[in-house]
Amino acid sequence: MTWENFRFALVEKAPEALLEHSLIVLITIIIAILISVPLGIFLSRPKFKKFGLITLNLLNILQAIPGLAIIALALPILGLGMKPAVLALLFQSLLPIVRNTIAGLIGVSSDIKEAASGMGMSRGKILLEVELPLAMPIILSGIRTATVYVVSMGTLASLIGAGGLGNLIMGGLSLFRPEYLIVGAGLGAIMAILLDRMLSYLEFRITPPSVG
Amino acid sequence: MIELKQITKQYPGQAMPAVDQLSLSIPEGEICVLVGPSGCGKSTTLRMINRMIEPTSGIIKINGNDVSNTDPDHLRMGIGYVIQQIGLLPHRTIAENIAIVPRLYKWPKDKIKKRVEELIVMMGLDPEKTRDKYPSQLSGGQMQRVGVARAMAVDPPIMLMDEPFGAVDPIARTHLQDEFLRLQKEIKKTIVFVTHDINEAIKMGNKIAIFNAGKLVQFGTPEEILTNPINEFVENFIGHDRVVKKLNLFHAAEAMQPVRCLVHENELLNAAQKMKDTGTEVAFLLNEVGKSCGHITLADLKEFGEDLVGLRKKVLRTEKAFVQSTTSLPDALSLLLEYDVDYLGILKGEELRGMLSFKDIRKHVYRKEGD
Repeated sequence: MTWENFRFALVEKAPEALLEHSLIVLITIIIAILISVPLGIFLSRPKFKKFGLITLNLLNILQAIPGLAIIALALPILGLGMKPAVLALLFQSLLPIVRNTIAGLIGVSSDIKEAASGMGMSRGKILLEVELPLAMPIILSGIRTATVYVVSMGTLASLIGAGGLGNLIMGGLSLFRPEYLIVGAGLGAIMAILLDRMLSYLEFRITPPSVG
Repeated sequence: MIELKQITKQYPGQAMPAVDQLSLSIPEGEICVLVGPSGCGKSTTLRMINRMIEPTSGIIKINGNDVSNTDPDHLRMGIGYVIQQIGLLPHRTIAENIAIVPRLYKWPKDKIKKRVEELIVMMGLDPEKTRDKYPSQLSGGQMQRVGVARAMAVDPPIMLMDEPFGAVDPIARTHLQDEFLRLQKEIKKTIVFVTHDINEAIKMGNKIAIFNAGKLVQFGTPEEILTNPINEFVENFIGHDRVVKKLNLFHAAEAMQPVRCLVHENELLNAAQKMKDTGTEVAFLLNEVGKSCGHITLADLKEFGEDLVGLRKKVLRTEKAFVQSTTSLPDALSLLLEYDVDYLGILKGEELRGMLSFKDIRKHVYRKEGD
């Protein structure tokens, strides 16, 4: 191990890898939220509750498929690069968000919904102004779980040429340069922890003050 | 005026309808209490008025308009709704909670702010301290006040209250009831009030509707129901102490008789003569500044004769036996027993207005029964 290799990995390789990695995480999480939250809302409506269990089981299976396998399976269709990577990561991140959205919305006290409806708030207003705000801490906690998953699983994306911190790790492995490996894995861990703390703080900020 | 005509609510899969062929007219500006054992259909009936539940058959009219012709959200915006669980939004401040319905009506901001302030004061809370708090930071009684304030925000002519004071402790409940009754004297809303507590019904109701098994059993004023229960169910429901409950309807001032004999404290021994002159058996005593400070009966004077010390002791025991004229008869009765005296002096402020004995209470109730 040499200091020179560390410096090179940190200064020359890491910025680009971090940027790519952040981009993959960001795109994946945004798409996951856009799919999962509406799906969760839909599945928590009384009329569609019966589909809830089936959907959750389906997502459970999707999450159980190893990310590497999905990447491999998606390769023939989506080719190399970011697209199959995002798809594979998406499968991993849908479940926690959908599950928490449903749990959060169902957990909103029926008394509060009854009072809101009794005052003449429409269903849409109740969803936007009562249910979602009250479920938000739990939904955010699902997003947090998904984000941490995606940051760590995202290192596999380099296998299909999507870049990211995985490049440093794989590079370190194949070149026998542990410095690259440490920088790549270390930055991934720091990124995961930072995002986790940030989202957890956000969660804390939006949770209404409770008894105590 | 709320009219319910032949209302039936049948839930699928249930043998008995929850509400069965119910007809009821709720007059304007009064509190109508729906009362009965749990599962009797009283809450279902209340919730059909603002269409939280749709009746299986029958018509509900508010001021002549069939409610099923009005959009449910619009209908509910115009009817105050208070439930036992209150249902304040935990993520909104007290001011925001009260402002919900005004915001649905799209009132301008400063009008909402003014109204919220007004309501917080009306509910006996401090606006400065309360406005920006969250519901969880208030006590149960305070939350319930906010619940009532929120329901009154746009001054709706009708209010539906489903066991509104059911979740607070007995002391806070009595307080809330008293305050609400005082408020109702000013605001004169048409109120439908659900409770399972017959005492609350007697206290709050201008009219009481007693429900059992989805049917209206008896409808009338508290006095009518306590005097003439229509059947055994009502009799059992109001309890065998119905005459004692009826006392709740009266104040001390209504049953009292005038004081005919006043004696100065230092002329105790002349009291017998004075009582004879006025033909009464009791004399109220005045102290040196002319304030009434107890009473003495003919029987006491006979018992103690010339024993001034004994008499003074006896008088001292009646020192506290005074109540305000607005005291309810059950409280007065209880105090008669507590002080172990034959008479209570009835005061209005500091001034002695009359006196009340067991006999006066009995006569008053009996006279009312006879009417």
